[in-house]
Amino acid sequence: MSDKSKLKEKILIVDDSEMNRMILSDMLEDDFEILEAPDGPQGLAILQQMSSEISLVLLDIVMPGMDGFEVLAVMNKNQWIEDVPVIMISAESTPSYVRRAYELGVIDYISRPFDSLVVQRRVLNTIMLYAKQKKLMGLVTEQMYEKEKNTSLMVTILSHIVEFRNGESGLHVLHIQTITELLLKSLIKKTDQYHLSHADINMINMASALHDIGKIAIPSEVLNKPGRFTDEEYKIMKTHSMIGASMLEDLPFHQDEPLVKVAYEICRWHHERYDGRGYPDGLKGEEIPISAQVVSMADVYDALTSERVYKKAFSHETALQMIQEGQCGTFNPLLLECLMDVADSLVEEMKSASLNTKNEKEMRNIAEEIMRYEEMEGSNRTLLYLDQERAKNRFYSSISKEILFEYTVSPSILTLTEWSAEKLGLSEVTLDPLKNETVLESMAQEDIQKLGELLHRTTPEEPEASYVCKTKIDGEVKERRFICRADWSEEEEPVFRGVIGKVEDIVHEDF
Amino acid sequence: MTVKECYEKINGDYEGVFSRFRGDARIQKFAFKFLNDGSFDSLTKTLEARDYAEAFRAAHTLKGVSQNLGFTGLYQISETVTEMLRNHPEDYTPDMLDKVREEYDKTYAAIKELQASTEA
Repeated sequence: MSDKSKLKEKILIVDDSEMNRMILSDMLEDDFEILEAPDGPQGLAILQQMSSEISLVLLDIVMPGMDGFEVLAVMNKNQWIEDVPVIMISAESTPSYVRRAYELGVIDYISRPFDSLVVQRRVLNTIMLYAKQKKLMGLVTEQMYEKEKNTSLMVTILSHIVEFRNGESGLHVLHIQTITELLLKSLIKKTDQYHLSHADINMINMASALHDIGKIAIPSEVLNKPGRFTDEEYKIMKTHSMIGASMLEDLPFHQDEPLVKVAYEICRWHHERYDGRGYPDGLKGEEIPISAQVVSMADVYDALTSERVYKKAFSHETALQMIQEGQCGTFNPLLLECLMDVADSLVEEMKSASLNTKNEKEMRNIAEEIMRYEEMEGSNRTLLYLDQERAKNRFYSSISKEILFEYTVSPSILTLTEWSAEKLGLSEVTLDPLKNETVLESMAQEDIQKLGELLHRTTPEEPEASYVCKTKIDGEVKERRFICRADWSEEEEPVFRGVIGKVEDIVHEDF
Repeated sequence: MTVKECYEKINGDYEGVFSRFRGDARIQKFAFKFLNDGSFDSLTKTLEARDYAEAFRAAHTLKGVSQNLGFTGLYQISETVTEMLRNHPEDYTPDMLDKVREEYDKTYAAIKELQASTEA
């Protein structure tokens, strides 16, 4: 029985009438775990804390304060509506009400009087439908992940075959990938002229491992010659870029795969130079695909900083200087800027670019990528992570004897930990706290306003702020310090969404 | 007194509520809970205070609850009042509340009687 109850799906009932909540609860409690909220704000607070755990919401429409439509609007805004199905249970059967509810994403409608069989069936069907959908999304994600993982593995194996024949350690490919990634990430911050998505960067990164596959066709006595090349040998060596490209072009299948196309560009043109003095085609400027431009710079940097039979390794600083001065050919000025921008992290990343960390990093990239691809699944996972974080926070805050708060602007809700709520004489969830008398007794309106202004002056990069003012906590009025972190949206024009923080006593230095 | 007799006394929809609740036990449980339901009190208070927006919600809740429990008389009068408060609150006259109270008292008394007979 206890095992069974753990597995029960959770249903949230939001209805202002206790009778109605009890009736529904009674009809459903054998098969489900029931959570109840007597009004909109408390329903939203429960959703905010545990939306990924809730399988279904039964929502009343006519409620005092915040009505069901407003609850739906917030659920839409936070994209909870995509993961949590809502069934409307209002006594309201006016068509315009029902229509509006459907428009706001309600999945079904149960009219009164409640029939226990109908309620049970509808709830169960909806939950099963959503569960199936979630399972399907999970399967698709899994398959994509497997596919990406296998592709990446094959690319790695292939490029290492080339490397080992070349007498190199295999680190060259890793270095190229590391530098390529850093340069591309820096590049998209500077310009969008190349229209590079995160998926493209990933693709170029993977394809960069193949830049030298043409070397497989170079005779090993040339390839591994322990001295400088003769003109004739250099000419043979230079054919590797065109050979690599032809190998890809001659693939009987998969010509349309983006990876193959990008790899083709990189193989063929990673020895071109921006001023047109490279090989094999003598392309100039932006005629050279950006993928090849970036890999070409990465290749040069790694060649300079690596030891060869015929030369010692140059230092990071020297290599940078040589590239900037054009000693290794001319590069895109924008990429030269990127190289300088990532110079510091380059040293760090190259140090840590061992085989293992690279694999881990690739996995992480793939995982990130899947989350971007799959917006739907993404929101789901994010919620899950958030939930885990919240669970941790709840634990920490439960053992901390401090006033901890969270405030969201829209809807205007103040959430307090249980302990804090008790000390302030407020409930854990307060709607419109800025108009709440108890809140205003704890803190002067003027201070609230100043704190608000202070928080609005923070930025997404530096969201912290602290503020000292008189507050009344547990009946005691004294100066205390607010330590806050503003929550800004991730849009281009960040929007102030709220704040989390704590109120602490000021410890005097002479104490 | 049986649950059925209680419903007959107030002209309630016993068959309907029996099939929806699947048995007397659940009907009885919620009928007793109805004795503590605050929506009628809330309706009285909000109407006296002439707060028609809140009165509408209270009437709406009372309507929903009585509908769920098959209290036909109370359901019908509270529905009339709900629609009146929604569309023409200015037409409200105190005798409307009296009519609701009449049905409420009747229902309340019948449930009390049922409760007394089960305790006996």
